[in-house]
Parts: sequence; C-alpha cells; structure tokens
Amino acid sequence: MLLPSTKAPPQGTQDLLFEAARRLRRCEATLAQLFEAAGFGEVIPPSIESADVFGPEAFRALDRSGHLLALRADFTAQVARIAATRLAGVSPLRLYYRGSVVREGAAESGIPRERLQAGCELVGAAGPEADAEILSLATRSLHALGLADTRVSVGTVGYFAALISASKAGERLTRALSDAIDRKDLPTLRGLCEKEVAPGKARDALLLLARPPRSQEDAQSLLQKAAQLAPSADALQAVERLAATLAQAKSLGAELEVDLGEVRGLGYYTGLVFNLYAAGAPRPVGGGGRYDTLLGRFGDPRPAVGFSLELDALVPLAAVC
Amino acid sequence: MLTIALPKGRLQKPALERFAAAGIVPDEEPGSSRKLIVPAGVSARFLVLKDGDVPLYVERGAADIGVCGLDQVLESAADLLSPIDFGFGRCRLSLAAPRDSRIARDALADAGELGRSLRIASKYPRLAAQFFARKGVPVDLVKLSGSVELAAVSGLADAIVDLVESGRTLEENGLIVVEDLHQITARLVVNRASYRLKLTTLLPLLDKLEAP
Repeated sequence: MLLPSTKAPPQGTQDLLFEAARRLRRCEATLAQLFEAAGFGEVIPPSIESADVFGPEAFRALDRSGHLLALRADFTAQVARIAATRLAGVSPLRLYYRGSVVREGAAESGIPRERLQAGCELVGAAGPEADAEILSLATRSLHALGLADTRVSVGTVGYFAALISASKAGERLTRALSDAIDRKDLPTLRGLCEKEVAPGKARDALLLLARPPRSQEDAQSLLQKAAQLAPSADALQAVERLAATLAQAKSLGAELEVDLGEVRGLGYYTGLVFNLYAAGAPRPVGGGGRYDTLLGRFGDPRPAVGFSLELDALVPLAAVC
Repeated sequence: MLTIALPKGRLQKPALERFAAAGIVPDEEPGSSRKLIVPAGVSARFLVLKDGDVPLYVERGAADIGVCGLDQVLESAADLLSPIDFGFGRCRLSLAAPRDSRIARDALADAGELGRSLRIASKYPRLAAQFFARKGVPVDLVKLSGSVELAAVSGLADAIVDLVESGRTLEENGLIVVEDLHQITARLVVNRASYRLKLTTLLPLLDKLEAP
C-alpha cells in the first residue's frame, strides 16, 4: 500500500474524538427530542444524490456507469425530493434530519467543507402560522441547547424580488444591489440607485433595505414605510405577509428583529428568510426560510418552509451538552 | 466590550480622529509603545494591525468592527458588513505600465499580439485576476508584497495593478496609469454577528462615526 501523502484529514474536515463526539451526540439528542415533541419525524436521506438535486457548490464525481453524482450539499433539497415523491400529497408534513453536508466553499474563509447540521422542514403549509411555527421552533432549538444571548433576524426575499422586477434591473445590477444591501453598504447602494435605477417608489424602497434591523415593536413604522413605497401588488403582498408572520410570532419577543436587508440565502427561497445568531459565534448559527417552488422541481408543487442549524458552531457554545 | 481593529499606517490617524469625535479615545497613542492591544476606557479597545489583516479579524469575530481600505475589503472577499464610507484614504486601484510600452499606448486592445500571456505583478491577485477575466485577457499573475513598481521597471512583469494616490511614484519610475479598476476610500467593516448582538451599542456609534 502507498503511504498517505498527508497525515491530516482533507482541508475543511475534522475528526471528532471522545468528548467532542459525545457533546455532538448529546446536542443532536436534545434537538431530536425537541423536534419529535413538536410533531416532526426523522428522515435519513442518502449521503450521495444525483448531482442535479444540488447547485454548483456540491462536491461531484462520476460513477462507473457515467452518472454524475454529488455528495449531499444541502438537506432541504433532499427532503424536498422525498416529500415530493414518496410522500406526495400528504399535507402537512413535518420532517427533520441531522447529518453532514459537504460544500466546496472558499477554504480561506474558514468555513469548513464538511458541516454538521440538523433541521426541520414543514411541507404543505402555506400560511403565516406555518412561518411562525418554524421561526418559533428554530428559536426554541437554541434555547434547548442552553444558549442565552441569541437573535433571530427576519426578513423576506419577496419584497426585494418585487422591487427588482418593478425597477427592471438586469442580472448584473441585481447582483450589485443585492450585494450592497447584504453588506448594509448604504453609500454603495445609494450610488447604484442614483446612477442606474429610475427615480420612483421602487428606488426609494430599495434604499430602505440597507437600514439597520428593528426590534419587533419598532418594526411597525418600517413595515408601514415599506408598504407605502411598494411599487406593485407583489411588493405590498410581501410586506403584509411579513407583518402577518410577525403578528403570529409575537411570543418570540425581544430576540426577534426585523431586517428587510435579509436578501441573501440559498437561491430557492421565495418569501420569509431568517438568520440565527448566538453570542460567541462570528457567523450565523443557523437560518431558514420559505421555498414554495422547490418541490415543483420534483413534480409535486407544494409550499414549504424550514430551517437548519450549524452544529459545528453550536456544539461548543451549548450549555446542556 | 467593543473590539476595534485599527490599521497601522496612513489610515490610522484619520481613523482615530473619527473615533475620538465619536467619544472613543485610546488610553495611549497606538504605536507609542509595543502594545498591540490598546484599551479605550472600560468599554472599548483597539487591536493594532496591518490593514490587510483587518477584514479577517473582523470576519472571524476577533474584532467587532474595523477600519480598512475598500481595496482590502474586496481583495479579502471576507463576508462582512461595510455600512460606512469614511471618505478619507482616497486613492485608486489602477493598471499601470511603462510609458513607452505597447500596453500604455493601446491599453489592452492588442494584448493578444504579445503572443503570450500578459505578465502582471500585484499585491492584489484576486482583484487583478477578476479584472482581466472580465476583459478576456489571459494573464500570468505574480503576487508581490511591496515595491510593485519595480516589477514593471525591471522586466519581471509587463504591467502592474497597484494603489495610486498622487501618481508621483509611478511618474518617477517612468510608469503611467492605463486604466482604473476601483475607486478606493477607507471603510468601516462590521462583523455580521456583532452587528446583531451588539446593536444597541453599535447603532449610536455608527451614527456618530458617519457624521464627522
């Protein structure tokens, strides 16, 4: 046998030994217990899939018969495939999962290639109460792990999408606007709007998106402003839907913040989108949103909403594990 | 406690002035001793580091906020918020070449006639690669860490991509600007999680930093 060329596991992966493994399993068990109690049932999808289930970030290889396969890059797409095929027509469906995803990312940014995740998907429920159920379960998972100082930053991609279509922005401009909003870069956003977006409601509304997040009580005025500036029925509907979801999620209290600049996320989100933050972690420790068109790709167009947690970030912070 | 990444060099003084105007004053002048962490009262502290390292410190949460040039924000591709354009530290990131060279005469119009890849030296390999990829010009990139002008003068490279402030260094070495890649100013960068978790401290500070 050849000697291995390196003694470390591949870059962006790790070995978990003994206490680290025990902690992970305890955290997983705590979450599984919470998810089961909330009426969710576990699914275990395979670790390889047909490559077209995922985006270009997946780690791919050809099998011996020439099929392009990919390591699991995202649970949500797999759960959508399961829901749309073997569980077609059963609504609502409450499914949860745990395991690892592998993505080819920018290695120097310190985001590992293989990440441990757990998460939930609620399929076949379209209303704001479904959005609120997922928001609440995501928040309660952080509490169940014993995290005290947490934030849930809530927005909607629907409003941004409606502004883009109203302002007839092309692909390059859309990307530049979305990037500036995502970075809260108001100077750049203002420059882009002044140079490349026609004056009007859509332009004023775009500038609203780089504003700081608001607490739930202060969000009313922001949402009213967003509704006033809505250039189309779609835009107005997106704001009203977010307001309805927030009204349902009132019990979440001070942790919840409204941030209309939450425009980033996996490409398939269509409405609600949120990120979870916890003191001690420099990046979001989880996130989710509504993806009403993803199941349609597998032939069973049904609405769905869900979230996933980044266990690599959460396990070291968890108090109960 | 708010941790601020402060760049050494030309951005340090104007950055400290803006923080002082916002009520954050270091207990001692950074750089006056060998201390790398300088407290500013009880609620803040400065980390003193190279401006190229600022994005990484802030992205990974070792600092909550930081000051650095847009050149470093873009070159690092760090996942950060950048809510404020300070306006100081103004310069350009430019492609420059020897005055009598073909590139200087015809820009990149007949780069193809070189018969080989264009050799480019830069401290900004990512931004340089992006620029030439957009133009469809094949390049052989050399990453340098200083005195980039020398590369174009000595024959190591056909042209350079570097910061140009007054243009005097270029001129004295017989180089001219062919094209600008980016207009650069100093930016405030903020860690994504700190922005949410320390919002009540940060928002008033950001307002004060923005209005000098």
